[in-house]
Amino acid sequence: MRYAAPTTTREAAALIAKAKGRAFVLAGGTDLLVRMKIGTIEPELVVDIKRIPATQSITKSATGFRIGAGVPTAAMGENNALKKAWPGVVEAANLIGSDQIQNRCTIVGNLCNASPAADSVPALIAAGAKAAIVGPRGRRTVAVDKIVTGPGTTSLKKGEFIEAITLPRPPPRSGDAYLRFIPRTEMDIAVVGAGVSLTLGPNGVVKKARVTLGAVAPTVVLVPAAARAITGTRLEDVALAKLAAACEAACNPIDDMRGTIEYRTEVAGVLARRAAKIAYQRAGGN
Amino acid sequence: MNDRNTDTGIGAAVLRKEDRRFITGFGRYTDDINEVGQCHAVFLRSPYARADIGEIDVSAPLEMDGVIAILTGRDMAADGLGDLPCGWSVKSKDGSDMISAPHPPLASERVNYVGEPYGVVLAETRQAARDAAEAVATDFGELEAVVVLKTATSSEAIHEAVPQNRCYLWELGDEQATDAAFQNAAHVVTLELTNNRIIPNAIEPRAALATHNPASDEITLYTTSQNPHLARLILSAFVGLSPEHKLRLIAPDVGGGFGSKIFVYPEETTVAWAARRIARPVKWAADRSESFLTDAHGRDHLSRVELALDADGQFLGLRVRTTANLGAYLSLFAASVPTYLYGTLLAGQYRTPAIHVEVEGVYTNTVPVDAVRGAGRPEATYVVERIVEVAARQLGIDPVELRRRNMIQPDQFPYQTPVALVYDTGNYQASLDRALDAIDYGGFPARRAASEAAGKKRGLGFACYIEACGLAPSQLAISLGAGVGLYESGEVRVNPTGSVTVFTGSHSHGQGHETTFAQIVSDRLGVPFDDVEVVHGDTGRVEFGLGTYGSRSVAVGGSALVVAADKVIAKGKLIAAHMLKADPAAIDFESGEFSVRDSNQSLSFGEVAFAAYVPADYPEDLEPGLSEKAFYDPENFTFPAGTHIAEVEIDPQTGVTEVVAFVAVDDFGEVINPMIVEGQVHGGIAQGIGQALLEHGVYDDQGQLITGSYMDYCMPRADDLPDFDVDTTITPCTHNPLGVKGCGEAGAIGSPAAVMNAITDALGTEEITMPATSEKVWRICRGD
Ligand SMILES: Cc1cc2nc3c(=O)[nH]c(=O)nc-3n(C[C@H](O)[C@H](O)[C@H](O)COP(=O)(O)OP(=O)(O)OC[C@H]3O[C@@H](n4cnc5c(N)ncnc54)[C@H](O)[C@@H]3O)c2cc1C
Repeated sequence: MRYAAPTTTREAAALIAKAKGRAFVLAGGTDLLVRMKIGTIEPELVVDIKRIPATQSITKSATGFRIGAGVPTAAMGENNALKKAWPGVVEAANLIGSDQIQNRCTIVGNLCNASPAADSVPALIAAGAKAAIVGPRGRRTVAVDKIVTGPGTTSLKKGEFIEAITLPRPPPRSGDAYLRFIPRTEMDIAVVGAGVSLTLGPNGVVKKARVTLGAVAPTVVLVPAAARAITGTRLEDVALAKLAAACEAACNPIDDMRGTIEYRTEVAGVLARRAAKIAYQRAGGN
Repeated sequence: MNDRNTDTGIGAAVLRKEDRRFITGFGRYTDDINEVGQCHAVFLRSPYARADIGEIDVSAPLEMDGVIAILTGRDMAADGLGDLPCGWSVKSKDGSDMISAPHPPLASERVNYVGEPYGVVLAETRQAARDAAEAVATDFGELEAVVVLKTATSSEAIHEAVPQNRCYLWELGDEQATDAAFQNAAHVVTLELTNNRIIPNAIEPRAALATHNPASDEITLYTTSQNPHLARLILSAFVGLSPEHKLRLIAPDVGGGFGSKIFVYPEETTVAWAARRIARPVKWAADRSESFLTDAHGRDHLSRVELALDADGQFLGLRVRTTANLGAYLSLFAASVPTYLYGTLLAGQYRTPAIHVEVEGVYTNTVPVDAVRGAGRPEATYVVERIVEVAARQLGIDPVELRRRNMIQPDQFPYQTPVALVYDTGNYQASLDRALDAIDYGGFPARRAASEAAGKKRGLGFACYIEACGLAPSQLAISLGAGVGLYESGEVRVNPTGSVTVFTGSHSHGQGHETTFAQIVSDRLGVPFDDVEVVHGDTGRVEFGLGTYGSRSVAVGGSALVVAADKVIAKGKLIAAHMLKADPAAIDFESGEFSVRDSNQSLSFGEVAFAAYVPADYPEDLEPGLSEKAFYDPENFTFPAGTHIAEVEIDPQTGVTEVVAFVAVDDFGEVINPMIVEGQVHGGIAQGIGQALLEHGVYDDQGQLITGSYMDYCMPRADDLPDFDVDTTITPCTHNPLGVKGCGEAGAIGSPAAVMNAITDALGTEEITMPATSEKVWRICRGD
């Protein structure tokens, strides 16, 4: 196995493109190293991107935020502007593992590991985040919900990697939230994660919303029907019940000794309602 | 808290001596020890719950790199090794002896649980041994397994010698008197209870390393044992591994046991046998999966409980019928756990005049079930405290009031229960009162209303438990079927410079003996705490011992040290009298000083110690040296007791139960080190809450363990637990010199019943079994 730590994006892209065997980007390593140690992957090349300055910072601009692919999620929690704009994204990223894990791990690693239960992904998709991709044929930008194609697989092409995640600047009177549920009958694998991002119009009526669910299907799912259920409402009980029903309908969980389909499905609805309420409050609704 | 610099005696919260090495990485566990030329053992284990062993083809793996030998149960049988015994024999109610199924360390003809070893691969590296083990081709003739406890006695017999899979049908108490009590009852309360199977999960998996010295023919076996002397006795007297004086067992640092390391297992037996056979040191260390599969499990009872009460709520009689899962074979203590450690505790803290219990001990094709923290007493407490709580609900009496009406009064001790035990002392009302204050019982209705307003459910549950600890008077234990006495030995060896080396037959695997026992000896002899070193866990250094289990270490092992220390003082007085030319009867000893009464003449402990080894013109009847031994045999069990109260809040939409408050007020008698005691209680409560909410060892109907990893077996963690509010009340034990009772198990004994009483209070139904997982709770909340 070869290990490389390039200092520019271009160099990294070239290394990955030219690799003969399987090449992996190393961000925090909290997934990659675990998989290497248990032997599920045997990389020919590991490219550490943390020496590339462009991956190391969170920048704020008129259009929003750019979070470098090497930024540990702990740093997101310390960025006040980001926390204010996208509290749900930050709280999701800061649910990953523990303090020790968060000092290493990244949201890009969380995304590219392509677990259905990845915590930051529902919040990123709800927030309308985009991935800035670098590859042998240059750059492209893709919505985060287009990256993961199934458990463990992504739409990234050979030689491509993600340089940064961008988040739009939230319109006024917006809020987002993420909640996850781990019934303690097992280790820390979320049974459901629910992300909600919404913007209010006049009189506290929801003008626009995005609702996502994690861990209930092979990939994180965006649930437009759930968003429609609360759009044009003030999250009255009827609207929340419709939201829950839409989320339940979007669930396709597994049935195992850790939790039945029935339970997982209903709890998904409960979590989505609760996340919606928090997002609504954060947007200034009451 | 006492300042540790100025106070290190009995009652001081001295920081633990042993923690320096544990937190700096200098602990030495079995797997840290390596012998020159050692090889590695990996066991061949049954993939079936029940099967005949056919041909074992080892030709291919024997050719693999690094493989030294592959030995099977047939080789072991040919070498004449005996079975692993059960150390306690129980009689059935018809007077017949229990039926002990033969338990060879390595199976040779038939395997009876998944994971049962039937051979061992020895290789240069662990990996090579593992690869070779996978390449062994064994023909198994799979047989139908008996897995379900409820129907085990009507299933095919697992062992030829055991019809109906029934090991014994044991009883205790007066059946007629109990029947009569039920006939006169105004109320009868009935409850079906399941005590879920738990897996002990010590942090250090079991391990063994054996070396045979061909010159001396001595075997040295390092192993993760809670009682190395007992293990040596069994390995030599029963298994016939090697004569006792040619076998040295060392249990170095051991990372937790919770009972699971009391027993003698197939693996250490095999490792020691193999080391001699192949003339190489052999090491084995379990991986976590092996721990799940092969460490003895705990609990696993089904019970039907009936309580008879009069019109005022006085208990008249208690009837208990229990089926106890023993697993495929009887492990070392297995027979006694659901009988003498269970049935005898069914009086609880109450004056119930008539009690009758019947226990059916049953074999199944699962790993042996034996003592796990509390062993029998958590099961008894669960029976008594659940039915009392349910009775209070059904009769509409406040659960505290119902308990008070029936509690043994402080002036009724010693109290003879109808189930054999005599409680020496206690004050149950005092612990109950203190616990009620701590939880703010009066404020509960308001807290419940607040939870309900927030869409939650809230419940409160009690457990007023009793336990019998300090196992135990030898005479009583032997008369009840124990194969050994239950005394403890200790030695206090004063070195010439006045420092003290203490040898104890107790074993510390997390409990902090090196600190507690040093406090006892330092306090008694008036020598500095840091001048006392405690040695344990080595049959080559410690004369004898029965080890640590049943919260017995301080009550029995600590008492032995007091007796030995007192002998040292007595001898020291003779030496001091000689030195000071005084009458020995006129020598006083206090705070490390020997003095002549009514004079200003005195000698320090150190001066006397030195003189003991530099005997200048000693008279003929004064022996040099200052080192004394004692065997202490208690005259009764000790009876720690207390009140645990759990308060829970349930989110009905997700079924998540949060233990929002937990109060434990325990009477452990005198307390040597309150910090260590508090730590023991914390750990016990965590395990008890784990059993109530999360932990469950499950076999599928083929007898495969489906909770064989941390992915599926849920251990409690800090965020599942509230801050515990822990306090003690004290009624000193009346029959040991320290007045101590023992604290190691109480937390695990009281907490499951308290938590389940709280959950059933919140839910308004008794129809929920442990563990009360969120899905179970959720189903009840939505009315399924
Ligand atoms: C103890 C522990 C607890 C955990 N708890 C949680 C949890 O609660 N919730 C949760 O969601 N996850 C959890 N995880 C999983 C893991 O920590 C997260 O998925 C984390 O976000 C991964 O980020 P990383 O930077 O460490 O990724 P890495 O391990 O560095 O990479 C993960 C994968 O993404 C690829 N990759 C990384 N960066 C890029 C890039 N820029 N472009 C393309 N591909 C890339 C890597 O090649 C690899 O395949 C836990 C892990 C551990 C060890």
